[in-house]
Amino acid sequence: MTVSDSGGLPSADEPLDDIDFGLLDDIRDMFDATDPMPADLPERIRFFLALRDLEIEVARLVAQEDQPALAVRGAELSRTITFDSDSLTIMIRIDANRDGTVRVDGWLAPPQRREIEMKTTANALTVSSDEQGRFAFVRVPRGTAQVIVRPATAGPGGAGPSVVTPALIL
Amino acid sequence: MDDQGRGTVRAGQSDRGVRIAELVGAARQGSEDALGQLVTELSPMLWHVARAAGLSSHDAEDVLQTVWMRLVAHLDDIHTSAALTGWLVTTARREAWRVRAVERRQLPADQELFAELPDRGPGSEEQVIMDDQRHVLWTAVSRLSARCQELLRIVAFAPRPDYATVAAELGLAIGSIGPTRGRCLAKLRALLGLDAEGCPR
Repeated sequence: MTVSDSGGLPSADEPLDDIDFGLLDDIRDMFDATDPMPADLPERIRFFLALRDLEIEVARLVAQEDQPALAVRGAELSRTITFDSDSLTIMIRIDANRDGTVRVDGWLAPPQRREIEMKTTANALTVSSDEQGRFAFVRVPRGTAQVIVRPATAGPGGAGPSVVTPALIL
Repeated sequence: MDDQGRGTVRAGQSDRGVRIAELVGAARQGSEDALGQLVTELSPMLWHVARAAGLSSHDAEDVLQTVWMRLVAHLDDIHTSAALTGWLVTTARREAWRVRAVERRQLPADQELFAELPDRGPGSEEQVIMDDQRHVLWTAVSRLSARCQELLRIVAFAPRPDYATVAAELGLAIGSIGPTRGRCLAKLRALLGLDAEGCPR
């Protein structure tokens, strides 16, 4: 343990000592108790990382908007979320179905045919976008989900990498 | 900045730095398992980087995913525990600010007021019944500057040898020779009424 010559207040210029380390341990315990990281988060990130391949782009959330859905009674909102990656913009709109699931309508820009996967904790659904880049998942269970736009096959439109979004809560 | 020979570090924590450097090496060679162990080891630190920046739990999770995905592309440039910690903290902070800025732009006007008040404090104390000792610590930490709170919150979860690196990333350089205590910990000790020997004054 470092003892300062003065025996007075601890100085900012002394090396870290065991009391400092003890305090840092206590601070860690305090935040662990008050604002713990979800215990399963590292596992979900590992799962997410395992999806990656060399040709992958991570899309980033760039906009999120809630608006009252006119057709739906009650307080349900229609959410529009936009993700951007180097090669693609993915926009999705999420609307509640009456059976407790959600409908997800999406658009890719630039418009193109791609295979699109909606990975949820329950299952993985796959659809294809049309030439206008539109796609729809009519019934998706609520919960954590992730959109993966599969690589474009080489063709007139050229090849492209997989694009994945961060997990989102439906 | 290297993470070797930085003065007083407890043996166990020193080992942690060495182990992390080894995991970085293995991850660079393509080991999924090593990368996974790094995720398990360092995600709590990144969680607190994102939460200290005022993000919701959901946004904090997104930030962590993004940061780890980006790390994979940068592994070739990272060789030490300190370099990894520094890169992770900086990238997570920038990403957290970016997400916060996106969210802010979308808030209706009447919520803007709340957005101006970032959740800088340790959090909601009511969630947990704290024993007296922790309550004293809580109160003392709450009285530190926002920057000191952020530093100590992040550093508490960082590998100990990387204390100086994290401080430098947060613009609170502490000593050029070794990891000195720095004014945040010194102030905390003063607030707790601990003298240089750790005894109550």
